[in-house]
Amino acid sequence: MDFEGSISFKTIERLLNKLRSTPEFQGLRKPAKKRLYGIFVESVDNIYKYTARISTDNLSKIKNPMISVKKLENAFLITAGNMVPNDDIGELRFKLDRVNQLDNEALKTLYEDVINQESGSDDKGAGLGLITMALRADKEINYSFTSLDKDYSFFEIQITINE
Amino acid sequence: MEKLIIEHMLNSPGVILDPEKGKYEFSGESRPENARNFYMPVLEWLEKFAADFSKQDPSNRTIPREFQFNFEYFNSTSAKYILDIFKILSNVHSQGINIQVKWLYEADDEDMLEVGMEMSRMSKLPFEYVKIEV
Repeated sequence: MDFEGSISFKTIERLLNKLRSTPEFQGLRKPAKKRLYGIFVESVDNIYKYTARISTDNLSKIKNPMISVKKLENAFLITAGNMVPNDDIGELRFKLDRVNQLDNEALKTLYEDVINQESGSDDKGAGLGLITMALRADKEINYSFTSLDKDYSFFEIQITINE
Repeated sequence: MEKLIIEHMLNSPGVILDPEKGKYEFSGESRPENARNFYMPVLEWLEKFAADFSKQDPSNRTIPREFQFNFEYFNSTSAKYILDIFKILSNVHSQGINIQVKWLYEADDEDMLEVGMEMSRMSKLPFEYVKIEV
């Protein structure tokens, strides 16, 4: 499935229904189904949180958020993209490289550090959600930043889950 | 103490906190639009529940109170608040109040079992894990 467009909270519900209704999703065993569902929710939540933070009023270029789920031979590929301020790139890169380098035990330790730090406050994105995705993903998380103008870039992540 | 009942929605869990019936339950999916707004009343209720024991007859502490957690799914933002729930319950438990936590998971959902074990470890509160055959 593919989606491109702005994401409101109502859109999330629609996208989840769309995902649940695909034959590929319905045909999955429960563990893979839940992993795919969880990573999809975290990806869409991230886009939603970012979209809420970015005012598109004075932008020269606007690129819509996107999310897609693609069936590969024995796996699923989830791709999610959204605009981010260039100022955030350094921190995002740091967080992504960090989760990609850690094994599951180290990820759990990081999860505990982050959940206790952020306890009681809402996540600005790419913190606990990213660690959760890394714990469930079957390969490292691929990512890219494509410059849109001097202030914004398009940020894309790709996550693989085995069937 | 007044009960707190929240009906489950598509994106938020059902909550039953009912001392009179001795029923304490969380169930369903948790990915509310604003996790803070959803969980604050729950955390406040539990804080009050914890504080009330000091006003009650000591025999009240030994009555078993079973808290049942039957989540189908929760997102990472909800996880923080769910851990906060366990931290409060852990505090109550460490004061010698008879709290029992049951963490339900579907037989083929190893991830949910693992998350429960992490929650138990992080909050220093023993859980009983209940496998639901599907």
